[in-house]
Amino acid sequence: MMPRATIVEARGVSRVFPMSAGPVNALRNVSLSIGTADYVAITGPSGCGKSTLLHLIGCVDTPTSGAIVFENRNVASLSEAERSRIRLMRIGFVFQRFFLLPMLTARENIELPQAEARVAAAARRARCDALLEYVGLADRADHLPSQLSGGEMQRVAIARALANQPALLVADEPTGELDEETGAHVADLFDRVHADGMAILVVTHNPVLASRASRRLTMKSGSLTS
Amino acid sequence: MTSAWLAWRTTTRYRARSALAMIGVAVISALLFDMLLLSHGLVDSFADLLEHAGYDVRVLSTEGVPLLRAPIPQAAELAVAVGQLPEVESVARVRFERAVVTTQGRPDVDVALLGTTATGTHAAWTLLKGAELPNDPSLERCPLIVAQRLATAWALVPGSTVSIRATLPGRQSALPAVGCRVVGTADFLFASADEYDVATTMQGLREVKGGAADDEADLVLVASRPQAGPAAAVRAIAKLRPDLRVYSNEDVVAQFNRNGFAYFRQVSVVLSSMTVVFAFLLVGTLLTVSTNQRLGEIAALRALGIGRPRIASMLLYESALLVGGGGVLALPLGGMLAFGLDRILRQMPGVPERLHFFVFAPGALVLHLALLAATAIIAASYPIWLTARLPIAPTLRHEVVG
Repeated sequence: MMPRATIVEARGVSRVFPMSAGPVNALRNVSLSIGTADYVAITGPSGCGKSTLLHLIGCVDTPTSGAIVFENRNVASLSEAERSRIRLMRIGFVFQRFFLLPMLTARENIELPQAEARVAAAARRARCDALLEYVGLADRADHLPSQLSGGEMQRVAIARALANQPALLVADEPTGELDEETGAHVADLFDRVHADGMAILVVTHNPVLASRASRRLTMKSGSLTS
Repeated sequence: MTSAWLAWRTTTRYRARSALAMIGVAVISALLFDMLLLSHGLVDSFADLLEHAGYDVRVLSTEGVPLLRAPIPQAAELAVAVGQLPEVESVARVRFERAVVTTQGRPDVDVALLGTTATGTHAAWTLLKGAELPNDPSLERCPLIVAQRLATAWALVPGSTVSIRATLPGRQSALPAVGCRVVGTADFLFASADEYDVATTMQGLREVKGGAADDEADLVLVASRPQAGPAAAVRAIAKLRPDLRVYSNEDVVAQFNRNGFAYFRQVSVVLSSMTVVFAFLLVGTLLTVSTNQRLGEIAALRALGIGRPRIASMLLYESALLVGGGGVLALPLGGMLAFGLDRILRQMPGVPERLHFFVFAPGALVLHLALLAATAIIAASYPIWLTARLPIAPTLRHEVVG
């Protein structure tokens, strides 16, 4: 059995948001480690700090105290360009609201991160075809987001997140905009992604999706409980 | 999948917004283009008109104010002396009078009567029918070249006779009318839309003025020899007659540029600046509003690792497409507008019909394009700054909560 390498580690991180009414402690001394084959789900009530933790682990935010170490590099010490490079190559983001570019087709949306990574056009196309096949949307490649259903859009967004073969897939309420049945299909897709060897961190209110994870964590008032 | 391509897809995706922006920019840039044409047009056209008159040096009296100079006395003697200078090729005397032309069965018509010794290729007109004024004034008592518009209105042809009587400004004239024969019809270079021009010989002018034997000229026109050039001719004439004012065409244009044209240039600069500001505000506002509407999308792109340079260049290209599209449309629109405005302005009293206010010059086009390019860059600056400073996590959170 291969040893599980750590992809990202949160070491006693806290995040305080300064507000006009006074500082808000969104995270309090949270520690979490995600390894190469982990599938971690974080649940908890709204406003408990789940998304804040996901943003820190996804390198789109930096902690007020503590450290996020991504593949042995302290994220806080990196420049924005270096963090952007990590997000491009090592992390795949899936959002609740999909955030597909409305003027691009499904195929073009998936190709965009690869184009940013300067992948050659032929390789991009091959990878894109494979991903469309993978998420079951080969016949919808040339459709615009406005011509797709919510479930289809989320599957395109997952394919886009996988485009550069990241080490970690982070998903913030990926079924939040979907009905139960469509949400279950997305959960199935996450299972498949995980089974194919990718680490996943998902923040969700959806118990079905959370139940699929190998590690389920609960967050309350900015602190993690197992 | 370049930034330009992404900008193109955005522009074509939001067609109504893009079309409105381009139309707005087209209208504003058409005005900008016209102001740039106006900024040099009148001077260029005036210089061109002077060159076409066939003389490059003008001699005037020093007496009186610039627009109401006293005539030069003993002008014939002056013309002979100037004509003998080695720098001079030819000389013509010119005298301006007001006159009334009458013919049977038609109401009298006021004309600008030009008495001149100039003829042929050195005349301030282009002959359309008939013959030039005779070189030997004794051959015909009062030969006339009449403006084509007058000839058409009165059905005058070479050989027609009209009566012509000089008038004195602000005074009743008791001078008798003189019968004159039309020898030709022509387009006068300096003719304005509100009056007819008629030219005759100096002898003919004397006849019209009752035979008064004055030897005055309002203006002496000089053509310099090509090998000497106008500057040398001006120096030679000024040395010969320091009591007169001598100008080359270049001097006249420079003076016109400093004095008469200064207002047009100031108006042009003010309006050009305003149109550039309007174009910047229009495109800047549209891009800023559009960027604000897409902040979630942009934050998501940043979260996916799409770098700031790509997003910035996408916005810059988007701005360039809107401004560029509008700028291209502005050229024919501005051209048509300039044509119409030029026609209106040329109808102003006393303005030569051949003088143009809006004249195309490659420099104006280059400046127009440069100003539009600068506008596109400046208009994109704020949205670029906005996206560069966009905090990803709070924006994503706000999008979900919102």
